[in-house]
Amino acid sequence: MKKMPFDPERTIIRLYDVSKYFGETDALVNVTFDVCRNEFFFISGPSGAGKSTLMKLLYLEEHMSSGYAIVDGMNLARIRRNQVPMLRRRLGIVFQDYKLIPNKSVFDNVGLVLEVAGIRSRKTVRDRVMDVLEKVGMADRHDAFPPTLSGGEQQRVAVARAMVGNPSLILADEPTASLDPEAAEMIFDLLVSAHSEGTTIVITTHDRYLLSKGCTGSIYLKKGQCEGPDGACR
Amino acid sequence: MKDTIRRGAADFLNYKYLHGICVITIALSVFVISAFGLFLINAGDLMVSWKKGIRIIAYLEPGADEETRDLIIGEMETYPEVAGVEYVSSGEALDWLKEEIGRQTALLEGLTDNPLPDAVEVSLSGDIDGADAISSLAARMEGLDGVADVEYARKWIERFGGIYNLFRLTSMILIGLIVSAVMMIVANTIRLILYSRIDEIKITRIIGADDAFIKYPLYFEGMMLGFLGGLAGLVLLYAAFFITVPQLSSAGLLVYFQVRFLPWNLVLLILLISMTVGWIGCYFSIRRFLRF
Ligand SMILES: Nc1ncnc2c1ncn2[C@@H]1O[C@H](COP(=O)(O)OP(=O)(O)O)[C@@H](O)[C@H]1O
Ligand SMILES: [Mg+2]
Repeated sequence: MKKMPFDPERTIIRLYDVSKYFGETDALVNVTFDVCRNEFFFISGPSGAGKSTLMKLLYLEEHMSSGYAIVDGMNLARIRRNQVPMLRRRLGIVFQDYKLIPNKSVFDNVGLVLEVAGIRSRKTVRDRVMDVLEKVGMADRHDAFPPTLSGGEQQRVAVARAMVGNPSLILADEPTASLDPEAAEMIFDLLVSAHSEGTTIVITTHDRYLLSKGCTGSIYLKKGQCEGPDGACR
Repeated sequence: MKDTIRRGAADFLNYKYLHGICVITIALSVFVISAFGLFLINAGDLMVSWKKGIRIIAYLEPGADEETRDLIIGEMETYPEVAGVEYVSSGEALDWLKEEIGRQTALLEGLTDNPLPDAVEVSLSGDIDGADAISSLAARMEGLDGVADVEYARKWIERFGGIYNLFRLTSMILIGLIVSAVMMIVANTIRLILYSRIDEIKITRIIGADDAFIKYPLYFEGMMLGFLGGLAGLVLLYAAFFITVPQLSSAGLLVYFQVRFLPWNLVLLILLISMTVGWIGCYFSIRRFLRF
C-alpha cells in the first residue's frame, strides 16, 4: 500500500508496515491501515489473529518489532519512556476481562484515572466520576467493590473509567466477548454514545455480527496479516 | 506529597497481612540487634567502671628526694590515660599495713626501719583501651627516673579484656549477619507485597501512571514498615528490659553497677536505620515493577 499524505488533524492512528514477533510466532505481519478521527473502527478476525497484540502496540504495552506507527500525533517508534504515560492518558482502554482493581471501590477505580493525570481537586474528581458513572448507570453502586458486581456491571465501570478522562480515542479489546447478549448490547450502546460525542472508537471482535452496527471502517486480521477492506481514510 | 502519603497509607491498610509479616520480621530483628546493643553498651560501662578501679603502683627508689617525687607525679599527671595520681609515703603505707594486720601489730613492732618504699598510685580514666595500652602505660611509668618498680594486675586485665574483646567482636559479626539477613528478608517480603498487587500496578500504569505515581507511595510504605517494625522491636526490648533488670537487681547481681537502657540518640538511630532498610528493600524490589 502506498503511503498516504499524513494529516494529524484527520488521522488519529496510522500503522505502516507494522510487524510484531514473539520469538518464532509472527503475531502481526506488515500491517498497514489508518483510522480517522471520530471513526467507529473495527478490527475483526478469529482468535489468535493478533487483535489483542495490535491493541497492545497502540497503547505501548508491547513494542513493535518493525514498522512505523502514529497514535494521536505521537510517533510510537520514537517515543521516550517518560512520554508513555502521556500517551496513555489520552486513551481510554476497555478490556475483555474488565481489569478493575478488586480492592478499590467503583468510585476509586474510575477516579484513579484522574488522580494519575494529576487532578488534585477532590471536588472535580467527584463531579467527573459521578457524572460518568451516571452515564453508564452505575452511580448508585459507586461504593461497591468490583468482585461484588456482575460482569456486565464491571464492564460498565470499565467503560466509565475509559471515558472519564475525556480521551480522544477509546480502544476496546473484545469488550463484549465475556458478556451475555443484553449486557453486551448495553456496553456497545455506551461506546456508540461516546462515539456520538466525538470520541474515536477502535474495537476488536471475533464476532462478525457486531460489524454491522455503526461501523465506519474496519480491517480483518488473519494469522497476523491484514485482509480485506483496509482502513485508509476514504 | 500529601497525596503520596494518603495513597501510601491507604495501600498499607489494604494489604494488612503481608505488611503485618513484614513489620513482625523487622520488629524481631530490631529486638535481637538492639538487645545485643544493649548488652554491649552495659558491658562497655562495666569495663569502664572496672578500668577506673584498676591501680598501677609505682614504687620509688629508696631515698628519692622530694624533687624527684614531684617530677614523677607531675609527669604522670600529664598522661591522658591517667585519671588520678596519689602519693603514698612509706609511712602511710606502714600505717595502712598495721591497720590491716590488726591484732598482730606485734609482728611489726620490732621493726626499727620502715621496709616499705614510697609509692605513687595511679588510677586510670575509663577510656583507656585494652591490656596493651595498660602495659605500655606501666612501661612508661617504669622508665621514669626515680621509679624502681611498677606493679599492677596484669593477668587479670589481660584475661578480662580478652573476653570482652572477643564478645564485642562476635557481637559485631552477629549484628552484621543479622542486618544483612533482615535486609534480604525485608526486600523479599516487600517483593511479595508488590507481587500480590502486580495486577493493580499494571492497571495503574495502563491508565497512565508515571513512575513517580507508582514509586513514591511504595517508598513511603517501605519506610512506614521500617518505622513500625523498629518501634515495635524497641518497645519489645524496653518491656524485656523493664521486666528483667529489677529481677537482676533484687537477685543482688547489680550492686555496684547501674544498668541503663539504650540512649535516646541510639534509639533514634535504630529507627532511622530500620526506615532505611524498609526503603532500600522497596527500592530494589520496585525496579522490576516499573518496566510495564
Ligand atoms: N506475550 C506473548 N508471547 C508470545 N506469544 C504471544 C504473546 N502474545 C500473543 N502471542 C501470540 O500472538 C498471536 C496473536 O495473539 P493475540 O493478539 O492475543 O490474538 P487475538 O487477540 O486476535 O486472539 C497468538 O499466536 C499468540 O499466541
Ligand atoms: Mg485477544
